[in-house]
Amino acid sequence: MGSHAKSWLLEHETAREMLERVQAERPFLLLPPLHRVPIRVGNVVELAGPSSSSKTHILIQAAITCILPKQWNGVSYGGLGHSAMFIDLDCRFDISRFSELLNHRIMEAGSSSKVGCHKMESEAQFARMEHYNEELFALCMKRFLYTRCYDSSEFLATLKTLHYRLQKERQAHGLNVHLLLIDSIGAFHWLDRGSSSFSLEGDNRKSWHLQNVSEAVVQEIRRLLLVHPMLVMATKAVALGNKYSTNELTRSYGKWPAADNQYSRNVTSTDQKLPYREYMPAVWQSFVTHRILVRDTDDDSVNDEHPNNSVFLLEWLMPPVNSLDKFTVTNTGVFILS
Amino acid sequence: MAPLKNLETEYPIIDSTFRKFCASHGIFSVEDFLIHDLYMLAAFVEQDISSERLKEGITQVLSIIDDMHQPWWNGMELLEDAKRNKHVLPTGIQGIDLLLGGGIHIGQLTELVGPSSSGKTQVCLQTASNVASNHMVLYIDTSNSFSPERIAYFLGKTIDVASAQAKNQIVQKVMSNILCHSVFDIFAMFDVLHQLESHLRYQDGGGCQMRLLIVDSISLLISPVLGSSSTQGRALMLSAGYLLKKLAHQHNLAVLCSHFKTPIHGFWEGCKICDLGPALTG
Repeated sequence: MGSHAKSWLLEHETAREMLERVQAERPFLLLPPLHRVPIRVGNVVELAGPSSSSKTHILIQAAITCILPKQWNGVSYGGLGHSAMFIDLDCRFDISRFSELLNHRIMEAGSSSKVGCHKMESEAQFARMEHYNEELFALCMKRFLYTRCYDSSEFLATLKTLHYRLQKERQAHGLNVHLLLIDSIGAFHWLDRGSSSFSLEGDNRKSWHLQNVSEAVVQEIRRLLLVHPMLVMATKAVALGNKYSTNELTRSYGKWPAADNQYSRNVTSTDQKLPYREYMPAVWQSFVTHRILVRDTDDDSVNDEHPNNSVFLLEWLMPPVNSLDKFTVTNTGVFILS
Repeated sequence: MAPLKNLETEYPIIDSTFRKFCASHGIFSVEDFLIHDLYMLAAFVEQDISSERLKEGITQVLSIIDDMHQPWWNGMELLEDAKRNKHVLPTGIQGIDLLLGGGIHIGQLTELVGPSSSGKTQVCLQTASNVASNHMVLYIDTSNSFSPERIAYFLGKTIDVASAQAKNQIVQKVMSNILCHSVFDIFAMFDVLHQLESHLRYQDGGGCQMRLLIVDSISLLISPVLGSSSTQGRALMLSAGYLLKKLAHQHNLAVLCSHFKTPIHGFWEGCKICDLGPALTG
């Protein structure tokens, strides 16, 4: 008995070893333009912004960085080499734009490395380079998984069957999904609010309204993150200009008792004034670990190198960072201005 | 929400014991499974007597749920589909074709926004006449503004045939490719769209395919149901939007909607917005 108790006290690893292990297994990702705050697998990042503020573009940028390999054929692409999943709830994803951006990234990395070593002398070399690029392009595109949902029941059905699909992918292709992108999370908000007037028979039957649907969505994603650790990035369309404080959240939180209390955190910690009106239910808000606000500016003065491209402002709301980042969107992706 | 009983004929594992077990947890239909925690349910199943059969039942339900969502595609498959099916339909109006990169895109919802009398209906009619030479067009008219004479006029300008009789024949043929429905409320539009969906699903694919759906103008259907307090109006508007996007993507249609004012922010996502005011007047 004594030795059994003693074995509890034996250390498994030092803190330094643990830090090294965790950093190797779950490294911090610094994806521009989200480079101010390191994010890692297991985080839930919410990108809020009015429409046409390049939110989807940031998701695409993250997906491309995820699917590109770190190194391939001697050229370093600086990617992660994992799969990315894109759940399109807005149903307006443009694959041609995505493939354009991917191609540009591949060619940019290829040309910048070749210039350093030696110039491309023969046609054959050029053709071979093109062939490699095409091969890499096909490889990366196969790592990008896409689906769209036209209503909440399709979204829930997708989430519920995602675990088995990921298991299948892992067994068949050895692919590990590192990134889950949702565009946009509030898409069915009004649809679900509108359907809450159905009254259903049955005593303990859950009715299909916004609160239950959101709880189910959050629960499914949480469960998924336990088994398949991924970084979740979701966009959310908001209307800027309405200043409502988050005190409203704490009041409404009391009205709907959360199903699983051990999972929900307190919302009372953030008492900041948000520059937009929050409409997502409290269960989603407490699930989000990082929050960013993106918006368009009319500022053309900073934009000397890239005229005709809009400049966007990025602000970290959670954790709050005091500076604003300016970036613009070009053909090769996101370009940080300041 | 169909009750679970209806599934018994096709999936005999969903028998009365399974249904009784589900009913004890408040699950009466497949949609109820979607908002319930299936892992918790599986844990309860372990404690039950006939746990093996119940587990098979849950697995069966999961495979039914797997059919309820859209399929997963990978990037290459999506690109293949875009190259093969999602072409561009030229409208015949140079300025607009330039703005949109060749014309309106199949698979996407394009919205024409402008104040009244800015020429939206004319653009719709011209686009219909241009596309109808090669494909079928469905024109949903909400304001009695569809004018066959105007279409014949547009066609007359572009057809370059000597004899009046041959010209007439071509005009007749092209006009027969345009189907016009008058609808005056949003529910009638849903009706037309659902009929279109079932028609397209069972179409054999030969002959002239439908490639363009025009709704002129959609704001006349939406503004009566939109009120500030009720959420039903916004839900209706969003459902209409999603139905149009679904038709566009799954059946390879280009959808063109004309809209009276600037779109209500945040609710009408998912289209390329083309503001006609400056293009036509300035």
